[in-house]
Amino acid sequence: MKQNRRKSDLIKDFRVRLRNEPYLFINIFFAGVILLIIAYSGIFSPEKNNYPVTCIHELLTGKPCFSCGLSHSFSLIVRGRIDEAYQWNHYGMRVFLFFVSQLFMRIVFSVFYMKYSDTRKQLIIVDCIGSGLIFLISFWPFILSIISGIAG
Amino acid sequence: MEEPKNNTGQNLGIAALITAIITFVLAVIPCVGLIAIIPGIIAIILAAVGLPQAARNNSPRGVLIAALIIAIIAVMISLSQIFVAGKIAEKASSGKWPTDIQNIINDVQDNVVKDLENANISIKIDSNGEKVEINTTVDKKNREKTLENLEGNDTLKTKHETKPEKK
Repeated sequence: MKQNRRKSDLIKDFRVRLRNEPYLFINIFFAGVILLIIAYSGIFSPEKNNYPVTCIHELLTGKPCFSCGLSHSFSLIVRGRIDEAYQWNHYGMRVFLFFVSQLFMRIVFSVFYMKYSDTRKQLIIVDCIGSGLIFLISFWPFILSIISGIAG
Repeated sequence: MEEPKNNTGQNLGIAALITAIITFVLAVIPCVGLIAIIPGIIAIILAAVGLPQAARNNSPRGVLIAALIIAIIAVMISLSQIFVAGKIAEKASSGKWPTDIQNIINDVQDNVVKDLENANISIKIDSNGEKVEINTTVDKKNREKTLENLEGNDTLKTKHETKPEKK
């Protein structure tokens, strides 16, 4: 009985914390989204080629884009076939590493956020700058393709 | 005395921020960048609804403003993807930009024509001990020379000279 009460109290506390601290909620939400992406890569296999997402860019223009083959690449990385993953999409690995790093960061930053309540503001600033930089490094080829496309 | 702050619009702000960040990541990927405009607009609407609510009740607006800025940038990136796709489609339809297959076909055609200009054909027939061998060259220069020898240089010249001009 006591144990059940403790459990329910803990859950209540956690719920209240999530409601009052949006940073924690956002971190947990994104960690869930990234886990879903990894699960998606694991469920759909490159052999069956049963991916539900089709490239809209290719449908419209008739030419494959920079991100074509990204799903195949992710699936192959999850299965440990790195060489084949590079063949499907050259930038697949760096994008996958972005998601993995984000998953790791969400967990670590959430723990630090709960542990050190004095430095929360600084922690959020570091998180924003760090995530922004990792995003730029990982998605730079895609950003460059958009810029060059606009420039003509 | 300080005015008490409440969390009106905070939930909307969180929802807007999450949608805006997802939109931003989607907008940068060319394959799905075009459809990112839909969650982008949703994020802008959520932030736009939450901002006046927060202002009215004097609650914090940081999350809402961040969501609005990220969503606007994401929508702009998504719109630029549409612009880029349109440009590529225009180039492809006008024929200015041949496809890879077209390039390969053109290369093969050029190579075949070049090879045939200087081809040496040799046919060997072996039937019941009798052997026949036919050798011929399809050299363009040689053919021109033989033609000149057969007709004579003068006749060729006169032909060129007397050629009527087309008007």
